[in-house]
Amino acid sequence: MILRGLWERRTLSLVVLIIAVVPIASAAVGPIYSAAARTTIVREAVRTAPLEGRGWRYTTTSGGIQAKVGAFTRGAGFTNPPIFGMEATSGRADDKRAFSLVWQDGQCEHLTLAEGRCPRASMEVMAGQASGFALGQTIHLSAVRRAEVGDAGRDPAPLKVVGIYRPGSPADPFWFGRTLFAPPGRPEGDKADALFTVPETRLDTYIVAGAVDFTGARQPEAGWTDYGIVFIDTDRIEGTDIDVLAAMQAAAENAGSNEDTIVFSRVADVLRVVSANAGSLGVPTLLVIAQLVGLGWMLLFQTVGDLVRARGAEIALARLRGHGRARVWRFALAEPLLLLAVAVPLGLLLGRAAAGTMIGALLPAGVPVRFPVEAAPAGVAAMLGGVLAAAPAAWRTATRPVTEEWRRTPRRSARGWVLDAVVLSITALGLVELLATGVITDVSGQSSSAMAVPGLVALGVALLAGRALPVLTRRLFGLTRRHGGLGPFLALRQVARGPVTAGSVVVLGAAFGLATFAVSAWSATSGDYEETARFHNGAPTAITVRPVEPRRLIEAVNAADPGGRTAAPVIKVPGPPEMVATDPARLAAVGYWRPELAGGRTLAEAAAALPGPATPRVWLRGDRFRLTADHDPLPKGWSVRLFATLRVPGQLRPVQIPLGALTGRSGTHAWNLPPGCAEAACELRAVRGETTPPPEAEEDLYVRVTVTGLATRANGRWHALDLPSWRVDEDPDARDGTFVVTVPGNQTLRPYTYEPRQAGVAVGALGGKAVPGLDNAYAGPVRTVLASAAGPGLTGVGVLVDLEQADRMAYGVHDKAVFQVWTRSADPAALERALEEQGLSVVSRRTSAGLAASFAGQGPGLALMLLLVSALAAAALALGRTVLALFTAARRRTYELAALEASGARVAALRVALLLEQVITVATGTLAGLVAGLVAARAALGRIPQFAEPPVTPPLPHEVALAPVAAVVGAALLVSLLAAVLVSEALLRGIRVERLRDAPA
Amino acid sequence: MSVVRCDGIVQIYKAHEVEVVALRDVDLVIDEGETVALLGPSGAGKSTLLWLLAGLLRPSAGRLWLNGADIGRLSQRSLDRLRAAQIGMVLQNPARNLIGYLSAAQNVTFAQRAVKRDRRRAGDLLRRVGLQDAGDRPAGRMSGGEQQRLALAVALANKPRLLLADEPTSQLDERSGAWVVDLIKRAADVDGTTAVVVTHDMSVSEALGRTVTIRDGRVGAEGRRGEDFVVVGREGAVQVPPEYHHLLPPGSMARIEELEDGIALRRAEP
Ligand SMILES: Nc1ncnc2c1ncn2[C@@H]1O[C@H](COP(=O)(O)OP(=O)(O)OP(=O)(O)O)[C@@H](O)[C@H]1O
Ligand SMILES: [Mg+2]
Repeated sequence: MILRGLWERRTLSLVVLIIAVVPIASAAVGPIYSAAARTTIVREAVRTAPLEGRGWRYTTTSGGIQAKVGAFTRGAGFTNPPIFGMEATSGRADDKRAFSLVWQDGQCEHLTLAEGRCPRASMEVMAGQASGFALGQTIHLSAVRRAEVGDAGRDPAPLKVVGIYRPGSPADPFWFGRTLFAPPGRPEGDKADALFTVPETRLDTYIVAGAVDFTGARQPEAGWTDYGIVFIDTDRIEGTDIDVLAAMQAAAENAGSNEDTIVFSRVADVLRVVSANAGSLGVPTLLVIAQLVGLGWMLLFQTVGDLVRARGAEIALARLRGHGRARVWRFALAEPLLLLAVAVPLGLLLGRAAAGTMIGALLPAGVPVRFPVEAAPAGVAAMLGGVLAAAPAAWRTATRPVTEEWRRTPRRSARGWVLDAVVLSITALGLVELLATGVITDVSGQSSSAMAVPGLVALGVALLAGRALPVLTRRLFGLTRRHGGLGPFLALRQVARGPVTAGSVVVLGAAFGLATFAVSAWSATSGDYEETARFHNGAPTAITVRPVEPRRLIEAVNAADPGGRTAAPVIKVPGPPEMVATDPARLAAVGYWRPELAGGRTLAEAAAALPGPATPRVWLRGDRFRLTADHDPLPKGWSVRLFATLRVPGQLRPVQIPLGALTGRSGTHAWNLPPGCAEAACELRAVRGETTPPPEAEEDLYVRVTVTGLATRANGRWHALDLPSWRVDEDPDARDGTFVVTVPGNQTLRPYTYEPRQAGVAVGALGGKAVPGLDNAYAGPVRTVLASAAGPGLTGVGVLVDLEQADRMAYGVHDKAVFQVWTRSADPAALERALEEQGLSVVSRRTSAGLAASFAGQGPGLALMLLLVSALAAAALALGRTVLALFTAARRRTYELAALEASGARVAALRVALLLEQVITVATGTLAGLVAGLVAARAALGRIPQFAEPPVTPPLPHEVALAPVAAVVGAALLVSLLAAVLVSEALLRGIRVERLRDAPA
Repeated sequence: MSVVRCDGIVQIYKAHEVEVVALRDVDLVIDEGETVALLGPSGAGKSTLLWLLAGLLRPSAGRLWLNGADIGRLSQRSLDRLRAAQIGMVLQNPARNLIGYLSAAQNVTFAQRAVKRDRRRAGDLLRRVGLQDAGDRPAGRMSGGEQQRLALAVALANKPRLLLADEPTSQLDERSGAWVVDLIKRAADVDGTTAVVVTHDMSVSEALGRTVTIRDGRVGAEGRRGEDFVVVGREGAVQVPPEYHHLLPPGSMARIEELEDGIALRRAEP
C-alpha cells in the first residue's frame, strides 16, 4: 500500500527523493573530499620537503638494524622498503684525512665507475677519484683490523682498491643527504671520499674502539654503525596516515634518548606544515558542509511537508474510519520515511561519485577516493532533516479536525515571526562578531564560525525578501486592478496571496545567496591568490640557481639577457626583515609592482633611487699587500699599528691583516694576504689604526694618516693599484684618503664604494631595523627611499635593495640566501639554457601561476572549492524545486483558470498571468540571493581564512570579479525565465473547459 | 434505547472574523433500528449534523449522546474506537470516501482495518452494490455512481450500529438508488443498523421510516408513515413549511387562533 501510494504520488515522491538525496550526498562529499584533500596536503608537504623531510635514517651502533627498522615502520603502509647500510670511520697513518668505510645496499647503481669494478668480496673497496688511491693499491686504516688476532695483536686489515668511482650527486635521494663525498670540483678537505665495500668485510674485520678520528678526539664507541634509510612513498601516503606519521616521528625522537640509536630526519617540519594545513582545512570544510546540509534541510522541510500534506485526504479517511492513533501516524510517516531511507544509500553513492569527480578535477592526479567512516553518519544526519520536517507535518495532519480536510475554514495562515526573529538575530549577532573580529588568523579555532555568517546572511535576507514580496505586490495589486490588464492582476493577486511565494523566495534567496557568496568569495580569493603569488614570486617566473659569487650571477644574467628587459638577478635573504637584492633597472622591467600600493610611484621610479656610487672597488689579488701612507709624527710614547680589513672569498666575516706600526712621518706597510686571495680577488674594505698608549701619557694622540699608495704582489711582482675615492666613517666629508687616529673618536677609512646607509624600498613597518645584508650580518638599517605596502619577492616585512650595492656592502653571501633569476620571458626554458651556458646551474623554476595554484591547494582554498561546487549545485536544486512548487501550485488552480477561460478571458491574459507570477517569484528569489551574497561577501571577505598562513604582504585586494557573479545570476535568471515559460505553456495546454467537470482538487 | 440523542446542539464555524451558525438548538432522538431521512435545503446544516453524529466535530454547545455515551466526555481514543466499531459513514463527495489508488475490495478492507477483518462480508457487500466484478480497477477510475455505491459498501464494512450517509444516491439512477435503499433497510433489519441518510431524493426519503427536515439550522419538521409534522422547538418556535409560504410569506404577520388541540395561524393585515 505504501508503494502504491508512492506510485500514486510519483512526481512528488521523486522530487522528495531527489531533494533528500542531494543534502545526503553533499554531507557525504564533505568527509570524502576532506579525506582526499588531507591526502593531497600530506603528499604535497612530503613532496616539497627537503630530502631529509621525506624519510628517516635510523642509525644504531648496537646491531639488529633490520629488526629495529622493522619495528619502527610497523603499521606504516606508506614507507618504501628500507635501504640498509653500515659504516665505520677511521683515520689512516700519515694521512690527515678521515675515512668512512661504507656499504649501502644498492651503492653500485648510484656510483659511476671510473675504473675497475664494484667491490664483490670481503675486504675489497672502491675509492673516490679525488682520494688519490690507485687501482690495485692496498690501504690500511688504523681502526680497521683483521678479525684474527696475530702475534702482535690485530694487524690493520688490508683493503684492496678494486674500483675508482666518480662521486655521485649528493642530491641523489639514495644517500639521504649524507655527504659521503665532496661534490665534483671541490677539494676533499679533511674528509676523504668514502670507501665503499661489501657487507662481508664486516666478518673479516674488527673495528677497534678508541681509534683516533680525524678531529683528534677519541671515539668512545667505534664498531660498525648500522643504518636503515626509510623513505615515505608519496604515492601511497594518505591523510589518514598523519597520526601514524606523527607516531613514527615521536618514536624516532624517543629513540634518540637511547645512547646507541639516532634517528635523523626532518619529518617533524613536514608534520608541522601538514598539521597547519590540515587544521585550516577542517573547520571551514565542516562549516561549508553544515551550511549546505542546512540548505538541504530547508528544501527537504518544504518538500517532505508537501508529501505528507498530499496524503491529507487519505489520513483524514483513516481517521474517519476510526483507525488508531499509531496507525494514523504510521500512515502519515510511512511514505516520507521510506523515501528518506532509500535516499540514504543513494545519497551516499551519489556523494561518492560527486566527490570522485571533484577530486579528479580539482586535486592532483593520483589522489585516491576513499570512503571515510564519517561519511555515512554525516549522510544520515542530513537525512534526519527530512524526518524533522515529516514529523510536524504529520502531526498537523493527524491532529487537526478531520473535517478541515474536506472543507477548509479559511484561516489566516500567517507564518509566525518567531523563527524569522531568531534567525535574523543570530545573523545580526554573527555579523557583528565577524565585523568586530577582524581577520581571522586562527583558522583552526572557533572564530572560524565566521564561515557560518554567509549562510546566515543569505537566510536572513531571503526571509526578509519573502516577507517583503507579498506586501509589495499587495501595494501594486491596487494599481493593476485599476489600470493593468487581467494578466498582471491575476499574477499579482496570486503572488500576494500565494502560499508558494514566500517559501520559494526564502529557499531561492538562501540558495542563491550562498551561491553568489561562494562565487564572489572564490573569485576574490583566486584574485588574492594570484596577487599574493605575483608579489611573492616577484615576477612571472622565478628560476632558482645554485649559489655563486654575486658578481657571477649578475654577469651571467647580463650575458643571458643582453637587452636587459626580460631577466633580473636576485638574491633573497630571509629575515626578518627580509631582503631582496636585485639589479634595479632589470627589476623595473620584470618585477611585479602596484603603484597604488606605493603612493603612485612606479617600479621604475622606485628602482631608479636604489643604486649607489659606482666607483671602482679595490680588488686585491696575490700573496702580499702593501700600503704607503703619510702621517703626522707620533707623540712621545704612543704607538699606532695600522690594520687593513679585507673581504675574503668564501668567508662571511671581515678579515683583518696587520700592517705594522707607524714610524716617522711616512712609511710603507706590507703584510701577507690570506691564502684565498691568491685564487680569487679579495677586496680592501677599510683601513684603521689601533693605538697603544704609553704608561703615562703626557700628550693626547691625534695623528692624521693619508694613504698615498696601494699595491699587491702576485707571482713575485708588485703591482700598484689605483687609489679609490675614500670615505671616513666618522667624517663624511673627508674624501682624500686622510683619516685620524686618536682616542676617543678613532676614525676608519674606507674606499667609497657604497653609501653607509643603503637605499631601499621598505615594505611594512621596518622602523629602522637593521636588515640582514647578503652576509646576514645585520650591519645596519637602510635609508628608505620609498615605502610600499608590497614589494616583489617579499613575503613579509622587508626591503628591496640594489644587488650591486648590497654586494659591495657585505662580506660574502650567507648560506640562507636564495639565488634566483626572475623573468617575464614567455620561454623560461630558453633563458635557463642561456644561464647554464653562463655557468649557472638551475635548481628549480617556479611561476607565479604555480604558486597561486599551490595556495589554492591549501586547506582554506580546498574548503572554498568545496563551497563553490556544492553551493552551485544547491542553487540549481533550489531553482528546480521552486519551479516545481510553482508548477504544482498553478496546476491546482487550472480549475480556476479553466473557469476564467470559460467566462471569456483571453488565453493571452492567462499566459501573462502565469508567466508573470513565476517570473516575479523566481526573480525576487534570485535577486534577493544576489544581494545577500554580495552583502555576505562584503562582510566576510577578508575575514574568512583564505590561506593556511595569512601573508603579511601584499595587502589582499579581495576584489570580487563581476563576470562570474554576473554569469551565475544571469544563468539563474535565464533558466528561471525558461522554466517559467515552459511551465506556463504546459499549464495552459492543460486548461480545457472539460476540466470543470472534475472536482476541484 | 436511543442510539442518538441530541440536546440543544449548536454548531458555530469560525471563519476569519465571521461566525457562521450552522446548527442552532437541535434536539433529536433516534432509536435503535430506525431509518431516518435527513432533509432540508442546501446549507441548512445537514452535513454538519452528520459530522457531529460521527464524532468528527464537537458541538459548540449542547450535548450529544451516542449509544448512551456523551461524546463530549469521550477521549479522542475512545472516540476513534467508537467510530471504528460502531459508525459507518458516507461522505457527500463520493470520491472522498475512497482511496483512489486502491481497488474496491481493498477499500472495503481498509475500513475494516481498525476492527476485525471479515472478507466474507466484504465480498457480500460488494455483490450487493453490484461491484462484484470491479476487480483490481482502482477506485479513482470508477464512475461517480460506482464510487457512490462502493462508498456505501465501505461504510457498511464494519457492520456499524449507526450508518450516516450524506446524499448516497445523488449520482445514481433509479435502479441503483433502489439497491442502495434496499441495502440500508436490510442492514437495519438484519444487523439492527440505525441509519441517518441525508437526501434530496423523494424515493429514498419515502422508503425510510422517518424523515427529519432541517431548516435554518433547526429541526423544522418530521414525517412518519407518510405524514408530515412541524416540530415545535425549544421556545415554542415553529417553522412554516415552504409549501405554505404563499399563504404566510416569511416576514408577514399572523393571528393565532386557539383550537381545542392546538392553534391555527391566519394571515393578518395590519
Ligand atoms: N468549515 C466551514 N466554515 C464556515 N462555514 C461553514 C463551514 N462548513 C459549513 N459551513 C456553513 O454551515 C452551513 C451548513 O453547512 P452544511 O454543509 O452543513 O449544509 P448542508 O445542509 O449539508 O448543505 P448541502 O445540502 O448543500 O450539502 C452553511 O451555511 C455553510 O456555509
Ligand atoms: Mg451537505
